[in-house]
Amino acid sequence: MSPILTVQGLKKVYNDGTTALQGVDFTVQPGEFLAIIGPSGAGKSTLMRCINRLVEPSAGKVHFNGADVLKANQRQLRLLRREMGMIFQSFNLIPRVTVLDNVLNGRLGYMNSVKGAIGLFPQQEIEAAMRILARVGLSDQAFKRASELSGGQQQRVGIARALAQNPKLILADEPIASLDPVTSESIMNYIYRICREDGITCLINLHQVEFAKQYATRIIGIRAGHIVFDGAAEQLTPAIIQQIYH
Amino acid sequence: MDWQSYQRKKRRYTVLLLAGLTGITVLSINTTGFSMARAGAGLGEILRFILVDMLPPDWGSISRLLQPTLDTLYMSVVAMGTSALVSFILAFFAAGATTPHPLLQVIARAFATLLRTIPDMVWVLLIVPAYGLGVMAGTIALFIAGVGLLTRAFAEALDEIDMGQVEALKAAGSSWLQIMGRAVMPQFWPELLSWSLFNLDTNVRSSAIIGMVGGGGLGFAIQAGIKLFQFEEVTMAILMTVVLFVGIEFLTTVLRRNII
Amino acid sequence: MNADAVREKLSGVASAGIAVKKAAAPERLKNGRFLAGAMVAGVLLFIFSLQQLHFDYARLGSGTLELLTMAVKMWPPNAADWRLVLLAAAETLQITWLAILLSVAMAFGLSFFGAANISPHRGIFWLVRGFAALMRAIPVLVWAIIFVAAMGLGPLPGILALAIHSLGMMVKVFADSIEEMDQRLLEALRASGASWLQVVVRGVVPSVATYFLSWTLLRFDIDLRYATILGVVGAGGIGWQLIRAMRMYELNEALFITIVIFAMLYAVEMLSNYLKKKIIKTA
Repeated sequence: MSPILTVQGLKKVYNDGTTALQGVDFTVQPGEFLAIIGPSGAGKSTLMRCINRLVEPSAGKVHFNGADVLKANQRQLRLLRREMGMIFQSFNLIPRVTVLDNVLNGRLGYMNSVKGAIGLFPQQEIEAAMRILARVGLSDQAFKRASELSGGQQQRVGIARALAQNPKLILADEPIASLDPVTSESIMNYIYRICREDGITCLINLHQVEFAKQYATRIIGIRAGHIVFDGAAEQLTPAIIQQIYH
Repeated sequence: MDWQSYQRKKRRYTVLLLAGLTGITVLSINTTGFSMARAGAGLGEILRFILVDMLPPDWGSISRLLQPTLDTLYMSVVAMGTSALVSFILAFFAAGATTPHPLLQVIARAFATLLRTIPDMVWVLLIVPAYGLGVMAGTIALFIAGVGLLTRAFAEALDEIDMGQVEALKAAGSSWLQIMGRAVMPQFWPELLSWSLFNLDTNVRSSAIIGMVGGGGLGFAIQAGIKLFQFEEVTMAILMTVVLFVGIEFLTTVLRRNII
Repeated sequence: MNADAVREKLSGVASAGIAVKKAAAPERLKNGRFLAGAMVAGVLLFIFSLQQLHFDYARLGSGTLELLTMAVKMWPPNAADWRLVLLAAAETLQITWLAILLSVAMAFGLSFFGAANISPHRGIFWLVRGFAALMRAIPVLVWAIIFVAAMGLGPLPGILALAIHSLGMMVKVFADSIEEMDQRLLEALRASGASWLQVVVRGVVPSVATYFLSWTLLRFDIDLRYATILGVVGAGGIGWQLIRAMRMYELNEALFITIVIFAMLYAVEMLSNYLKKKIIKTA
């Protein structure tokens, strides 16, 4: 099977001179649930944002589903991005619009620019969005403003928005870092179950090693912009964890 | 609630609001004789007027405009100083924390509201017959509007001071004067200065145009230039107005940062 | 008369000004010696300015007496021409409304190009910001006098002058609100493949709508004050009625007109404060 994502020699130096990534290589097969762990500032978020080019990499290659992401022009990039759903630490919902509208925003990449902007979504897309909201248990909240929801509920909307894109890949950037432990567990369950059921490949940045070990099929450890570990959860020994975090 | 009824509810509200606003707009267009075509034609005329008649500025008129510019500044300073002084006294009546009697508070507040709400340009119109055309009428109009602004601002500042400090001194047996000097004023000073500087800013902006109705200064020069078709001199006067604004704003910003 | 800045400070929405001022006001003044120097300089400047104005103090006295006599003569207000005056007041409101409509519509479009975070190009950003700064640096009455000179008397030049000047401020405050919004929200839309237009309409607009609305209400207040005096340069409205009455020394009528001006401005200020509070509550 051909890999869904290939990252080669990825480097990122920010304008202020800080080096976030210094040559990262890895390959992801379809269906993997890959956790990326490492201390804050190790470059996890930058790595994720380089894959969908919310951050422009300084050097290296990213291939997604056969396409060269870094060579894509604005139009092609939109087409690639719509196949990669992203889930954020701070949910990043538009607070003043309804939950349903936030989910529908996941469909914008599929819409004509003007039609999408004024929100002329076809009936079946609205129904599809309602079905996705049902899957994350938020049917009854669909017409509330996003800001009225609790943190855990907002993150479920974030998941629903990513899911509305019909993605092949989900990039989850610290999805539980702003949540309490119980809610975190439930959000991890939602992400894991949905990716399994729909056969979506998932890259997930995690701060907590326990969650990574519990869910991931494979773990990558990053420290100071380098990959220092790449292997199965069982191979992640306390010694290696020590090495990643200290 | 399903999608349809949600949409319907939202749409009904939007339609009502839009209908109301459109009604007002149509009425306004009818009575003022506004039309996009006329506005467009007018804009063309304005552009021609600015580009052909008003440019380039008449640099030679700087020396003639210097006195009006200085007058504008002097008016602003004198009006600010006097209105700050008067407002300082009135504010003690208008603030709930310091007023000797609630009735006096109501009167002082109403008075300030009256002075503040009527635009200073209207004040000029009303007092010019008494004081005659010129800088005196302009300064007094600025003074009146300034008292309205500052009394309210000072009173609010007084109401916001930390009463804990006042009580502490009271408990220690201090006199009224001691309380004022040691507890009230230290908290009040920054607000007092900040608002006075702000008033200087607004005065400069106002006084530059107050002259158009007989208050002297740059506004008078602009008005006179238009009447005499000296449009390039008008441009120069406008430039000096803008320079004066920016200069004073810069100065008050620096002062505020260093003092407060 | 720069109601702009006054209202910016006084109003609840224009919290920017107040917040800065509040944050900057510590318990005690920080620079005692500088302050003392500035105070002395201030007093000297005051005395110098007073001298330079060459007031005729005899005239100040007699003028004040005259003003008091006038004030007495003004009573009672003469409302005989109430129909004319109220129509002029209505015209002032309509001038303001049209000017607001024009400036908000234009500023709404321009602000997305004048906000550093979403402007499509750096050059466009500077162009829009510079244009806005120039528009608001020149006072409304100066715009009005130019427009009247170019287009003739009537409400139209007044409307355009007001619109141009407000446009300058609206573009600035709209663009500032856009710059202050949470950038991460836009990141999410970009990540899902949304186009520039979609990011603006689906992400930026709903997030800043309430700010835009409160700024517009605030600006209505300010523009109404300006519109009141537009008549001074022949641009229509109630200001013209006041000038007419004063020129003919119809003091009782002038008082009536002043009362109408006060009532109109006060009522609109109260209303717009009320609406702003309501908007902020729903936000």
